Amino acid sequence: MENYRIFDSELEKLTHKVITMCSQVNEQLVDVVLALKTSDLTLARKVISNDEFINNLDVKIDKLCQKIFALQQPVASDLRYIISALKINNDLERIGDHAVNIAKRIEPLQDYKQLIEEFGIDTLGEKTTVLFADVVELVKTHDLAFAEKVMTKAGEIKDECEGIASRILSEMMHQSEVVVVAANILIITNLLDRITSYSTNIAESITFVVDGEIVKHRKHN
Amino acid sequence: MIVDKINTEDMFLYYSSKMALNNISIKIPEKKVTAFIGPSGCGKSTFLRSLNRMNDLIDGVKIEGKVIIDNINIYDKNIDVVTLRKKVGMVFQKSNPFAKSIYENVAYGPKINGIKDKSQLDEIVEMALKNAAIWDEVKDRLGDSALGLSGGQQQRLCIARTLAVNPEIVLMDEPASALDPLSTAKIEELIVQLKENYTIVIVTHNMQQAARISDNTAFFYLGELIEYDRTKKIFTNPDKKQTEDYITGRFG
Ligand SMILES: Nc1ncnc2c1ncn2[C@@H]1O[C@H](COP(=O)(O)OP(=O)(O)O)[C@@H](O)[C@H]1O
Ligand SMILES: [Mg+2]
Repeated sequence: MENYRIFDSELEKLTHKVITMCSQVNEQLVDVVLALKTSDLTLARKVISNDEFINNLDVKIDKLCQKIFALQQPVASDLRYIISALKINNDLERIGDHAVNIAKRIEPLQDYKQLIEEFGIDTLGEKTTVLFADVVELVKTHDLAFAEKVMTKAGEIKDECEGIASRILSEMMHQSEVVVVAANILIITNLLDRITSYSTNIAESITFVVDGEIVKHRKHN
Repeated sequence: MIVDKINTEDMFLYYSSKMALNNISIKIPEKKVTAFIGPSGCGKSTFLRSLNRMNDLIDGVKIEGKVIIDNINIYDKNIDVVTLRKKVGMVFQKSNPFAKSIYENVAYGPKINGIKDKSQLDEIVEMALKNAAIWDEVKDRLGDSALGLSGGQQQRLCIARTLAVNPEIVLMDEPASALDPLSTAKIEELIVQLKENYTIVIVTHNMQQAARISDNTAFFYLGELIEYDRTKKIFTNPDKKQTEDYITGRFG
């Protein structure tokens, strides 16, 4: 005997909003990486102004979760689903913020396309984007095996970030004339690193929804 | 250390030829609140009643297996059922005070048990009413009829009546299901206090109530014990799909 649950329609609304948030953030990420690669200031400005939409959606998702907690008192997988939605929403919003932070550094770097390429930041950006597209897929499919793959891939990207960061640092030490530019590039590398961490968080939240296991503090490598 | 107060082994119960309990084995810890949940007709009340042999009173009931309380099988031939029911008290869904004074309702059990001394009875009555968290509300009108109390007060009076004979285990069958939210909250608070001194087993159809007040939760379905675990586990990540479907309201 299957019951009709008001809860299910609330859940559908929530899922829909989270997926929308995912695609918005995905677009921001794709745009900012392209803007960085091509020094497209118009596109960078678009990324900055689009953030407001994401912030609004973030608040809406928070409110919906609050409402579900208060009125439906979810338990078991329902409970885990709402908790994850809250966390994923938070992570998405942060990724959005970091896309904006990158966008703001494109103008000072517009004459240094070559340096960006030399350090491999454009490729790093693309990898981060591809990873995030996988995360969006994961949010839709809840596929545990895929979650594992995403986490592994994220670990590799983070290692790469670290490698690039230390190369930038040594460049800064040896060539003082690039310090200001290199510092900007270093910050972008860190932002991409953070975005990758948030992607990992989202994959962890999905694992939590599916099997209740908290993998947050497990070592990925 | 956690001591098992009640331990049932391979319990079966039949109403005539109809099986109502199917192979129930469960260990209920001492001085904890254990909640039984499950859809109507799954056997919660039947199982609860079998823990102090209240089912003996029903025609055509056949019971197999063991119910061990403090290392003694309560279905052994030489068991004195009156002593058993003193040790294992029961509170029902519908409060059922006698049409007598508040005092007499609580003193009734101890009197039957042979206590005649007035001051001793006074002491027992006061203690029981205090333990049932109703003393302050009735202390100035102990001679008034119990029927003049509100539903929530009547239920706490019935709990006091149960406590007056000094039980070790208190069985409660949906004790708050007929009460308003405030009275329900009082009963819930009381139950949590009582576990300091008593082993509580409660049947409730209110899942949030089970979640709020119990340490362990047992989920019954069609006469079977489907899952039994710490309440926290049952309500965050149960092992069985049937439990999950029931507590999330997908069936039942
Ligand atoms: N006195 C009785 N005589 C015959 N059948 C009964 C009696 N009491 C309960 N039953 C049956 O046993 C099953 C379990 O009932 P019960 O223990 O009252 O379930 P619950 O408390 O979970 O609602 C039901 O099918 C019910 O109809
Ligand atoms: Mg019942």
